[in-house]
Amino acid sequence: MILLQSHSKFLLQTLLNRVQNFDKGVELDYHWVEFGDVRYHIQVSMKNPQHLKLSVSLPIPPPDTVFMGGLPSGAIEAIKSAYGAVVQILDPPRDGFNLTLKLNLSKLPPDEEYKHVLLVKIASVREVVLGAPLRLILKQLASRTVSSNINQLVALVHRPKESFFLVPQVDKVTVIFPMRFNDSIDIVLATSFLQEFVEARRTAGLHNAPSCSWSSTPPLELKEAATEALSANAGFVTFVIFPRHVEGKKLDRTVWSLSTFHAYVSYHVKCSEGFMHTRMRRRVESLIEALGRAKPDTDTENRKKGGHNRSFKRLSLKDGRTNSN
Amino acid sequence: MDPAANRPAVVIDNGTGYTKMGYAGNVEPCFIVPTVVAVNESFLNQSRSSSKANWLAQHNAGVMADLDFFIGDEALARSRSSSTYNLTYPIRHGQVDNWDAMERFWQHCIFNYLRCDPEDHYFLLTESPLTAPESREYTGEIMFETFNVPGLYIAVNSVLALAAGYTASKCEMTGVVVDVGDGATHVVPVADGYVIGSSIKSVPITGKDVTLFIQQLMRERGENIPPEDSFEVARKVKETYCYTCSDIVKEFNKHDKEPSKYIKQWRGIKPKTGAPYSCDIGYERFLGPEVFFNPEIYSSDFTTPLPSVIDKCIQSAPIDTRRALYKNIVLSGGSTMFKDFHRRLQRDIKKIVDARVLASEARLGGEIKSHPVEVNVVSHPIQRFAVWFGGSVLASTPEFFAACHTKAEYEEYGASICRTNPVFKGMY
Repeated sequence: MILLQSHSKFLLQTLLNRVQNFDKGVELDYHWVEFGDVRYHIQVSMKNPQHLKLSVSLPIPPPDTVFMGGLPSGAIEAIKSAYGAVVQILDPPRDGFNLTLKLNLSKLPPDEEYKHVLLVKIASVREVVLGAPLRLILKQLASRTVSSNINQLVALVHRPKESFFLVPQVDKVTVIFPMRFNDSIDIVLATSFLQEFVEARRTAGLHNAPSCSWSSTPPLELKEAATEALSANAGFVTFVIFPRHVEGKKLDRTVWSLSTFHAYVSYHVKCSEGFMHTRMRRRVESLIEALGRAKPDTDTENRKKGGHNRSFKRLSLKDGRTNSN
Repeated sequence: MDPAANRPAVVIDNGTGYTKMGYAGNVEPCFIVPTVVAVNESFLNQSRSSSKANWLAQHNAGVMADLDFFIGDEALARSRSSSTYNLTYPIRHGQVDNWDAMERFWQHCIFNYLRCDPEDHYFLLTESPLTAPESREYTGEIMFETFNVPGLYIAVNSVLALAAGYTASKCEMTGVVVDVGDGATHVVPVADGYVIGSSIKSVPITGKDVTLFIQQLMRERGENIPPEDSFEVARKVKETYCYTCSDIVKEFNKHDKEPSKYIKQWRGIKPKTGAPYSCDIGYERFLGPEVFFNPEIYSSDFTTPLPSVIDKCIQSAPIDTRRALYKNIVLSGGSTMFKDFHRRLQRDIKKIVDARVLASEARLGGEIKSHPVEVNVVSHPIQRFAVWFGGSVLASTPEFFAACHTKAEYEEYGASICRTNPVFKGMY
């Protein structure tokens, strides 16, 4: 697995399971957490098994991000356009959550393939809700419409109390990620990973990919941002997105990849740590093997010694005899 | 306050056959997947043979191969459809055998299945009571070094199984856990939450042996099953149709009298040709689970039936705990799921105990009457993942976070902190 999937595996599994055993009344009450502190809660009651209640709680936004009614701007419209009649937004949401959706499984389309697509879409609710403002800006870029916030710094939340920044322009959008890690080893690994990542962009096959750069100091675009947003211990990554990167179907993938960039890096840092441990383990094994080979073979040694002793004894006996004679 | 303590802990119960994983505070695990890793090793062989010149390409290929693996059902599907993936089973007989594969398995569990950031959650892992402290250290090393978990608790699975029964009905933390998994069978006496280490008995007959026995029976009868699929079919037959009978002779008679009622059909599709086939399932339905009660029908090396192993185990425990142990015999593990397994077990243990009581009364000449010994085999509907459920209950208590080994402790003292286990305290 190189990229993180946009749908939550467990949510999709639960939904598919519910759709297959449609009439079976099952009590279901489950809560779980995903990376970036997104919490989910799903509930089905015995009485009406067609109705699922799905609550989502988002990471706590830093003060510079725009949140309206506990949701990122444009999230409600995004939910409505993505799901249509299947989903109903409940107001107010469940206690401790930002959003509660009521799914009506009896309103799912009868066509199997389309149904599956829609269920996957529901399972990627995180992408729809958290990625809504980013999607809006990238959509404007694709259609080259000029909006009010041109050249203005926009902050979007992606981790608890952390945000990344966008500078929308008419022909491009600059996306800047301040990278923060807790562990000192992680910082080192992430820094070299990001430098390698920028280097990899320059190889022949990737001319069409968005250009990216890494710097240890905040780039010029961030001069308006608050000082606490600029304290990144693993540097800053900048992507420049052009309209060709957000055309048609590419839009969804771009939104997902950008909004989970930090999770992507941290996943790969963990993977490389695992890889290094594998190598270290193999090295230790080979060293132990070498040590094992260097050890004198105790069995043959003993036999040799025994032989030696005997001949020594015999000699001494002879000596004794000669002495006595 | 540690922010990770506000989030539910991750509970992963790695079994030989299946891994159960999920978040604490729920009643069911999120995923139950086979403990298997499919690794693409085609890159590795390549780099040995070809020249040094394109080492960079090979290096890159090697790095890619490092991410190119699957676990669980996906792994099984991949290995069946293409020959580039090799299956590795990281756990054998309840002990971690291949640490590289285990680390990869955990990596996918965390990032692909549970999709959580391991730095955000406390972790609860399980181990068998016979796990060596070195292996516990190794687990701790992987969890703290690779995944940077804020805290880790390695629990003994039999204690968790007992804790699972604790919430289903009220009973004390004293009992015998009969854990019959896919790769290991243990009988573990626990007194007040402490494992009596010297009385642990293990049985070399496991769920896998039941599968092998069924496979053997079906092969000997000449059922039309493609050989490459026969183990999987036997496993499915075991999971869906097997039950425990009270008397083999009577059961044979029943099957012979009314074959239409007892003989089941299995339908499948041959993986190579795609042609459908069907086969009958007959005596193996009750003969499979019978290997626990009459092991001589399967192996000639081990012939002690499970009920007498349990009895011996309790007899070797301290005398003041024995009555309480007989009273609470708890089943756990997938291979105790056979219908009426607990009834048969209870009946057979009771028989042994009653015979002993009668003998001692006869020896004493009938002057002293003893209290009858209560034998009780407890079964509950969540037996399959009782250990996971116990872990979920334990990890949702506020005391759990205090009992964990933390990252700070690890950095201060090293992996040896994982050696001590609160449940075994006073023993090591």
